[in-house]
Amino acid sequence: MAPELAIVVTAVVLPFVASGVAPLVYRLAGDYTGYFGAVVALTCFGLVGTQLGSRGAVALPWVPSMDVALRFYVDGWAVLFALLASGIGALVFTYSASYMHDERSLARYYATLLAFMGSILGVAFAADLVVVFLFWELTSLCSFVLIGHHTEDRESRYAARMAMVVTVGSGLFLLVGVVLLAIAAGDALGATTFDLAAMLADTDAMRATLRESGLFVPALAAFAVAAGAKSAQVPLHFWLPNAMAAPTPVSAFLHSATMVKVGVYFVGRLRPLFGGPEWTLLFATVGLATMTVGAMLAVVATDVKELLAYSTASHLGLMVAGFGFGTVYGSEAGVFHLLNHALFKAALFLVAGIVAHEVGTRRVDALSGLWRDLPVTAAVTAVAALSMAGFPPFNGFYSKELLFEATYEAAHAAGGLAWLYPAVAVFASVFTVLYSLRFLGIFLGERPAAVASVHRPSLALVVPPAVLALGTVAISASPQLAVDTVVQRGVAATSAGRPEVHVEFPTHVSPPVVMSAITIGVGLAGYAVYDRVRTAVAALADAASFAHPNLWYDRLLLGVEAASPRVARTVHNGRLRTYVTWVVATASALALFGYATTSGLAPGVESTRITAAMGLVLVVAVVAAVAVVIAPSHVVGVLALSILGFMVAIFYILASAPDLALTQLVVETLVLLIFLLVLERMPAFYGDLRPRVVARDAALSAVVGATAFLTVVLSIPDAGADPTAIARFYATEAVPSGGGTNIVNVILVDFRGFDTLGELFVVAIAAMSIVVLIEMRDRGETQ
Amino acid sequence: MSVALATVVGGLFALGTFLLLRRDLVRVVWGVSVLSQAANVYLISMGGVQPGTHDTVPVLDAHGGAVPETTDPLVQALVLTAIVISFGTTAFALVLTYRAYQENETMDVQEWR
Amino acid sequence: MKTTARIVVPIILVLAISLLLQGHNLPGGGFIAGVLTTVAFALIYVAQGLDYLDSGVLGQEVESGAGVFEHRSVTAFRQTFMVGLAVAVASGFAALLFDEPFLTQTFVIVEHLPLYHELEFASALAFDVGVYMVVVGVLLTILSVVGAE
Repeated sequence: MAPELAIVVTAVVLPFVASGVAPLVYRLAGDYTGYFGAVVALTCFGLVGTQLGSRGAVALPWVPSMDVALRFYVDGWAVLFALLASGIGALVFTYSASYMHDERSLARYYATLLAFMGSILGVAFAADLVVVFLFWELTSLCSFVLIGHHTEDRESRYAARMAMVVTVGSGLFLLVGVVLLAIAAGDALGATTFDLAAMLADTDAMRATLRESGLFVPALAAFAVAAGAKSAQVPLHFWLPNAMAAPTPVSAFLHSATMVKVGVYFVGRLRPLFGGPEWTLLFATVGLATMTVGAMLAVVATDVKELLAYSTASHLGLMVAGFGFGTVYGSEAGVFHLLNHALFKAALFLVAGIVAHEVGTRRVDALSGLWRDLPVTAAVTAVAALSMAGFPPFNGFYSKELLFEATYEAAHAAGGLAWLYPAVAVFASVFTVLYSLRFLGIFLGERPAAVASVHRPSLALVVPPAVLALGTVAISASPQLAVDTVVQRGVAATSAGRPEVHVEFPTHVSPPVVMSAITIGVGLAGYAVYDRVRTAVAALADAASFAHPNLWYDRLLLGVEAASPRVARTVHNGRLRTYVTWVVATASALALFGYATTSGLAPGVESTRITAAMGLVLVVAVVAAVAVVIAPSHVVGVLALSILGFMVAIFYILASAPDLALTQLVVETLVLLIFLLVLERMPAFYGDLRPRVVARDAALSAVVGATAFLTVVLSIPDAGADPTAIARFYATEAVPSGGGTNIVNVILVDFRGFDTLGELFVVAIAAMSIVVLIEMRDRGETQ
Repeated sequence: MSVALATVVGGLFALGTFLLLRRDLVRVVWGVSVLSQAANVYLISMGGVQPGTHDTVPVLDAHGGAVPETTDPLVQALVLTAIVISFGTTAFALVLTYRAYQENETMDVQEWR
Repeated sequence: MKTTARIVVPIILVLAISLLLQGHNLPGGGFIAGVLTTVAFALIYVAQGLDYLDSGVLGQEVESGAGVFEHRSVTAFRQTFMVGLAVAVASGFAALLFDEPFLTQTFVIVEHLPLYHELEFASALAFDVGVYMVVVGVLLTILSVVGAE
């Protein structure tokens, strides 16, 4: 089934339109703006839902003559991601309406959240890599605004800036990778294109070209950095716990369900293109490392949201690791867990929000026995937390089984060190069980005396997590149904070939079942001595604190902050000569460096025939310029400058340029006139010449002169050379298409009329600036 | 002989830069002026300088007929606009100089802060 | 000086106009014609002063004491380049009416005319007139503002 262009475009554009009108809606509807957002999100959900099962590319032509179009690529993977984004979006908007009701700057909040949803849908569907990059960075920008929602809070601003630096900065790596892919596509597909759909259609040719040109590993590394930072993979995970400064609905939506999964999504997208031994080594290792580090840090966490943040990083690691493995199980684990995790983790975040809202604290140690006061929430948590821990028969169990299967297969095939994969996966999963149970623990047991009173959450707060929990239960009850509906198609899109996915409750003992059994057994045993485990892990984390990336981030930022004013003071010190020195020295250095490193440049010694007359004129011109430099007074200098100008005019005549000569002669007259008019009003200041300064300036000038000399020698065309194609074109086309025999004039008014128009504006602006300069003084506005 | 042309262009660039570094603001403006002349000469030389004959002028004889090999008309078009624009900017720079003198009561760029 | 100006200015102006009109086929064009025209006016200023056009040529009263910006001819110069920009842009938009891209030019050759035998009308001339007006307006504005100081 081919996708419907109108529906896809509407789904992507609608949130942006809604974002534009959100401030207006907020003025009219106040807190109900949340429900407005929910309606928009539901509409998108419905629109995307109709595309379930379609596959293919659609394009909205923009500049057809240059083949620029807004291209969208729809397949199972894109639809799954878009459904999650819009579906959870709808629930988060509903939740926000109640949760955020006493907050400030809500117009901005809802507008950004809507724009964010549009960006996510854009990332999901964009087929053009440049558009992917654009939406990718837009999600980071929205995340920046949302994390910094409490603009008056220092920590909020710090966290927002950190997320911005890490995710937007790493987005530049995405751009590098995109450009490398486009270059490879130039060879592989015949034309330099940014069309991802075309690249995915011919992965073999792309891969061969990438390998041949040696761009495979650089491109892979660039994408890995971009995706790793976005999806909080070690060692770029540190921004995610800080991002918990955002309001809880934002954490649930951006920092667990969607934005952080953009990296995972893109890893899945590129899997058919880059899949191979390097791919597995990179992503399986990074993913499993993140899974372990995240899970261990989650055990140490003291804040409920911090626990969930590290846990999110850990689960993102699981998905990345899944996609890292080449077998079909890996891709199944990645896709299925993306769905499962979005459901249970968003639910848990919303639960954390309810707890913070109704109890007033988020400290793990201070909370327990909340099941009496929050029975529905407790039930939701039970489902979600057990799913997160990977307990059968919940859906988290199935996707984790698939990962275990993938690690086991990889180890079985490769042997040796590869057996670390399953071992690490089990090790990390033990900690997952531990912190999942700990989170559930805040609802179990007796309520401590310190927690005085617990409010009843409003319906709008409870329904969204309950819906997510019901989704979890539904998938748990019939995993094969979910697989058939959405997961199967996502797996097909992220792997080569057309694999069949089967998920069922294990009925016989297999390696993954044993691994799950070990995980759950050790996890339950460990929970009994939770405090001791936690102390041990905390001690380990302290011992390794020197390696904490947060520390390095702070140092780097402080260094940059200290260095930039120093650089500014050197380069930008308010003295004209400093600016000139830096600019001309840098320009010369760059040009000379370019000449030095470019091969095949030969000086054209006999390239130009200069007659004696021309030589004489040019010599006089240089002499006049020297006279300008050593002129004892302003008037002498201006006259010498005029001589230079007139000599250049004669040079134009000799160089067969009558138009230029005429113009130059007249303009020189005007320049002389205007100089004399102005100089009349200015004092005779000439500045004293100090030998050291003169020597320095002369040296710099000599370098510039030498650069210009070299440039002319190296780039002047040979005497006998044919005119360039473009000159030839203008000469032959002047009469037939321009209708004039003066080629220069035809170029000015016809062929390059747009340029001339631009130049007219420049001249007009110069005149207006002069008028403004004088007029401002007349009105008394100085400085 | 391109060395001769290159020497002229290089010399003009060097002299213009030297003027730009002076403390007298009027000289700085002169420097801009000299540099733009140098740039124009450079552009023209990129079109291939040949001794002028009737044929090399980029003005054709009549409508129709063979098109002789002229000098590059494109660089001439570029320079033509450059001349007019550099007049505009020179005039602007001069007025700016004049106003700066009125505000600061000095022509010495070193004394501005 | 005044006598020279009296004789030379009309010649320069005629030359400028002819350069503008023939610019498409012979050396000339809007830029050159514009600067030449400016020179003619500049000559008048140097010889006669800013008020000469109003009082001497048009025979109008000149308010003395008003600033340079209220001066009638300076206002006219500023209007000239604004109009010139408008003409240039409009000649570009005219092409859109014929479903051509912005600033596309064309020409017609009218044959069998008395005296001229044939005459070419290029739409580029309209654009060139715009160029001419901008150059004249801009340069004269600059000159008169600076000169008035």
